[in-house]
Amino acid sequence: MHDHHDRLTILMMGNPNVGKSALFNRLTGANAVVSNYPGTTVDVTKGYLRKDRHSYEIIDVPGAYSLEARDAAEEVAVRILDTHPDAVIMVVLDATRVERGLYLALEVIERGAPCILALNMMDVAQDKQIAVDAAEMQRVLGIPVVATTAISAEGVKHLADMIRKAQVADLSAIRSRLNGQEPDQGAVARCAGCGGGGCR
Amino acid sequence: MHKRLSELAFGESGTVRYILASRHELNCLGVRVGKHLTMITRQPIKGPVVVAVDGMEVAMGLETAGCVSVEVD
Repeated sequence: MHDHHDRLTILMMGNPNVGKSALFNRLTGANAVVSNYPGTTVDVTKGYLRKDRHSYEIIDVPGAYSLEARDAAEEVAVRILDTHPDAVIMVVLDATRVERGLYLALEVIERGAPCILALNMMDVAQDKQIAVDAAEMQRVLGIPVVATTAISAEGVKHLADMIRKAQVADLSAIRSRLNGQEPDQGAVARCAGCGGGGCR
Repeated sequence: MHKRLSELAFGESGTVRYILASRHELNCLGVRVGKHLTMITRQPIKGPVVVAVDGMEVAMGLETAGCVSVEVD
């Protein structure tokens, strides 16, 4: 949401226990309670991030498995999403449980807000010898995908840089890419990674 | 052989063939048709059922587990 300071709101959403709060603390320097079990965050924490000339309000949303709320924390998550129609959504995934996290990610993408995806807990994925191809996910989803490890801060700076490149993705374009087709030009406005400004 | 998920024995595994409960509720937890799962525990006194899917444990109510049909390995 753009307030009078033209500050963009970022909602951090994801399944419970994927490291949203740890990532939130890294991004904002805040001190949200972090634990190693799900359901730690049941209400809302706000923090602020200044990156270059951009100013962001970051909201740490309680974990949810889906947008069809089944418990109090999920109701809070859906309500926050509803009350911030102009927010950028940062979807946080556990890199060791990508498939489960994608369910919520696609539900969020379907709502049509600009999204960016943080592939968190990459250290655990490496330990478990799970390889996740962030570049391929970015290509298929059409939104920036950044690999992060919140506890060691790896990738967090890059994530902060990429927030302003968040993209609105299109489900039918995602479907055609999964079927090996290139979607219609109209469906994909710009490159997910560079926002149209030329890739690395 | 088909069994309800709630009837699987400890350690028994199989593939989900159909879900008669709210699909949505289980799908978002990673349990969907075609998924291979293994029974971890069935808590006593109509307690929750815990299964392993893709290396993670998913708990669900006994009633929900009774709505999942599994083809046993």
